[in-house]
Amino acid sequence: MTCSDVERVLPELLDGAPDGEFQTAFETHVKSCPACSDLVSDLKVIASEARQLAATEEPAPRVWVRIAAELRAEGLIREPESAPKSAPTRPILVPTSPRRRWSAWWLAPVAAALLAAGSYVVSHKPAPQVAKQQAPGTPAASPAPAPPAVAQTPAVAPASVPNPAPQQLAQKSATPTAIVGLTAAPAAEPEPSEEDQQFLSVVSTRAPSMRATYESQLQAVNADIREAQAYLDRNPGDADARQHLMDAYQQKALLYQIALDRIQ
Amino acid sequence: MESLQQTTVVTLVLATCLASAAFAETKKEYRFTVGPNANVSVDTQYGAISVKPGSGNQVIVTATLKSDKVEVDQRQNGNRVEVASHLLQGADQQTGQVDYEVLIPPDATLNLRSSTGPLTAERLQGDLSLEGTDAVVNVRDVTSGHVHVRTMRGPITLTDVRNGHVELASISGDVHLKSVTGPLVQASSGSGKIFYDGDFGSGGDYKFTTHTGDIEALVPANVSADFSAHSVLGRVQHDFPLQQPQHSRFSVEAGRSFFGTVGKAASEVVLRSFSGKIRLKQR
Repeated sequence: MTCSDVERVLPELLDGAPDGEFQTAFETHVKSCPACSDLVSDLKVIASEARQLAATEEPAPRVWVRIAAELRAEGLIREPESAPKSAPTRPILVPTSPRRRWSAWWLAPVAAALLAAGSYVVSHKPAPQVAKQQAPGTPAASPAPAPPAVAQTPAVAPASVPNPAPQQLAQKSATPTAIVGLTAAPAAEPEPSEEDQQFLSVVSTRAPSMRATYESQLQAVNADIREAQAYLDRNPGDADARQHLMDAYQQKALLYQIALDRIQ
Repeated sequence: MESLQQTTVVTLVLATCLASAAFAETKKEYRFTVGPNANVSVDTQYGAISVKPGSGNQVIVTATLKSDKVEVDQRQNGNRVEVASHLLQGADQQTGQVDYEVLIPPDATLNLRSSTGPLTAERLQGDLSLEGTDAVVNVRDVTSGHVHVRTMRGPITLTDVRNGHVELASISGDVHLKSVTGPLVQASSGSGKIFYDGDFGSGGDYKFTTHTGDIEALVPANVSADFSAHSVLGRVQHDFPLQQPQHSRFSVEAGRSFFGTVGKAASEVVLRSFSGKIRLKQR
């Protein structure tokens, strides 16, 4: 079994669908391959953490409308083809660029991982029944935390994040503490994450004229993430602040996605 | 001496002609016959795309190529038409530019993508998806279609867009919405401003979110909506006498949030910013 085989079968094995000979070859490879071993252990941690997320109340119907609109926009759902003639049909909204090559494929799971990390942060700390706390005096003066290392983690957790193809789960992942570390507030100066550096490196290679633009936008969204995270660390019960942190992650995912659409 | 002058003039003229030929614009036209609810996609790295409704069941694409360092790839698969610019070796933003003028059936689904833009779509009824990096995006007079726009820095302007789902997202571009109503209207920008001029229709959900950008809504006195606004670090203000329900999970923090009903609460309007200002102004 090779590393690419491991990437392909990993989701099935995590779902608990073992096959005797399959499982043996898989375990033999994982024992001998440090990269695959790290990947498997990290994904198991993420999967176990996801199972511990508490169930929430049923959201309002408009929430599902929005999710459906989002998934439809991403081309992940489509209208049923057997709709009756009397019902107005809506055309499929699917990006149809013929030249999209996923050679920068790792950007997709990174974007999804950013959304997963944001969802985990939003749902892992339930807000108290009583809303609102007083706004802090000078939150901007606090040292900004490091950019989230969770961006390195493959996307497995929340259902609202589109699941990447199995082969896309095979990117190198950070240690499991990256997720837990997201809720801490280290006081060190922020440094660009490995993924951000790699992202800019790819942009420099494939679209050098756009590098300055992407870099400035990346700095801006990272600053927004740090700002929101710092405020949330001081006010962990502030649901709106938590949502803004999630929105900031979505902005970063949007930046990666726009770049992914352009880098070919 | 005279012959030298003549030679110089001839050389200059010849060089100018050669340069002009090398960068001569080329116009190409492509026509496609499609059925109802066609799907049209136009993708260019550099250049403007303008889309208007045509007549009948034809998709007509007029491409203006700025140089010979760019080609246009086009194909049709059934009801799906795809046109894309293809940069050749040595192309840059100037030489790789292709401007498109497109006529489509009004009910067609449209996908546009350009880094530089501008992207313009008007008088259409199908679903629209527009994406640009720095592209200015203008959507005007669209009825019933869903409108999805994503930009990095490009400003987004929607005018007279009704009855569809609207989802706009920009990292730092401004968003302007004028007479935009529908069952779902969402706009978000990180550092850009969001400006809404309209009445929020009836029966819609509106949500505007920024991180640092300001949000301003200019609405008539007879607006009918449930409003809630909150800025974590910025200031909020409103010009309306808001009726607040007796029991609500939303708590008012003076200067940082407000909520309440105007009229019969036909629509719901949620305004959120991390540090931008939020203003609900009466026209």
